[in-house]
Amino acid sequence: MAKYAKLIDEKDNVATAVADCGTGDELTIKFKGNETRYTCNQDMPFGHKIAIVDIKKGEKIVKYGESIGNASKDIKKGDWVHTHNVKDDYKVLDKQGNPLPGQED
Amino acid sequence: MKFYGYPRLDGKVGARNYVALIPSVGCVNALVSHIEHMVRGTVAIRHDQGCLHPTADTEQVTRTLINLGKNPNVAAALVISLGCEMVVGEQVYEGIKESGKPVDMVRVHELGGMFETINKGAKIAANMVFETSGIQREEFGLDKLVFGTKCGSSDTTSGLSSNLVTGEVCRLMTENGGYFIQGEICDIMGGEYALKKLSVNEEEGEKIVDAVRDLYERGLAVGADVRGSQMTAGNVAGGLTTLVEKALGANAKGDNVPIQGFLNYAEIPSGPPGRYIMAFPGHGFENLTGSAAGGAIVHLFTTGRGAPNGNPIMPAIKICGNAKTNVSMQDHIDVDVASVINETETVAEAGQRFYEYAVSVANGKLTRAEILNFDSGMEILIKGPVM
Repeated sequence: MAKYAKLIDEKDNVATAVADCGTGDELTIKFKGNETRYTCNQDMPFGHKIAIVDIKKGEKIVKYGESIGNASKDIKKGDWVHTHNVKDDYKVLDKQGNPLPGQED
Repeated sequence: MKFYGYPRLDGKVGARNYVALIPSVGCVNALVSHIEHMVRGTVAIRHDQGCLHPTADTEQVTRTLINLGKNPNVAAALVISLGCEMVVGEQVYEGIKESGKPVDMVRVHELGGMFETINKGAKIAANMVFETSGIQREEFGLDKLVFGTKCGSSDTTSGLSSNLVTGEVCRLMTENGGYFIQGEICDIMGGEYALKKLSVNEEEGEKIVDAVRDLYERGLAVGADVRGSQMTAGNVAGGLTTLVEKALGANAKGDNVPIQGFLNYAEIPSGPPGRYIMAFPGHGFENLTGSAAGGAIVHLFTTGRGAPNGNPIMPAIKICGNAKTNVSMQDHIDVDVASVINETETVAEAGQRFYEYAVSVANGKLTRAEILNFDSGMEILIKGPVM
């Protein structure tokens, strides 16, 4: 049975697997009438993300058409994308753009 | 597709036709329940607030009770006051009266206890049902619809199916001139700047960011970094990598529809039709109350693991994209969108289907939560200390 990943916005560089995937599994993305296939470079459970293009260290991870964090290392097309290679740098900011107190990294 | 609703004197249109029993303070809840059981057609809006608040919360509770009474699903309202509470019964009474609907009030201390109050209150309520139950549904445009939304008991499928499908409904219904109320400041946290970008003016957008700051600072006051309680170990195990990702998945319930304005808790939008962000929390009881007080006549409630609760005066439709939950929690789920996950239906197709379903609920179809009487609980958000 075909395994799918969901791409949400055309600007996204990751898609979300909706099946448990093993290394070498092929994931199909249906988007706006087109079908594209990607090979998983690592094991990846249901609900986790796969890179659909190469993403360099420091570049934005884009989902829902918006940045959700930055790549903390180089990511290859087909790689599992999660906390091991993405930095979450979100902080609540004051009006001047400085982090409010009490937020550890 | 047509909307058949109950016309109200203020020009608004209801999806239900209740006589609301509104306690001005939680102390009279038992009495309100007795009247509700005695008189068919009444619905009790039980809550535990109304006294020993700082002034700002007394005002918030008063506004909430007035605007619940004004909700178009309410045909008439009876305010039940104890007599010593901080929320002033007359204010609630006068506030609801502005809408032109029948309102009355009874006061327990004046009448001398429960039996005398029931004697008078139940008679008033019975006459209200007698007078209003004959109001007929009439045909109206889809511009008369006001929907609220929230996600609850969410999982990975929420941000990939039910929230996206609800976002499509937001787009369709606001294009048709309806109002759409979204909120959950805790879930917006991380996605506040994305919502600010969608705001039609800078000032309203900044209010959304301010609401997130306010939530963070209130957490900090009790020693919590609420970013951490928003992003759980379960979220990470489920595949969510960052708080921003989680927030964007929650924001998706409104798609990329422009935001017309920011609403205080339980505030009725007075600006042009479209999408609004209200300062309601994620917690279901206060959330649904805020939405209903804002004037929503139907609530679009997305879930992944199966949240059962509704609201006393506003039907809440449960929509779920998790195929397992749609079987295990079928008692509680109204709309199944696992089709979006397994690629047998597009978000656009499911959105049109859900829109039509929501209109059918506005037209009288009962939700699971209504059928199961799983809709009697509610609460009003307070922000300050309880004295």
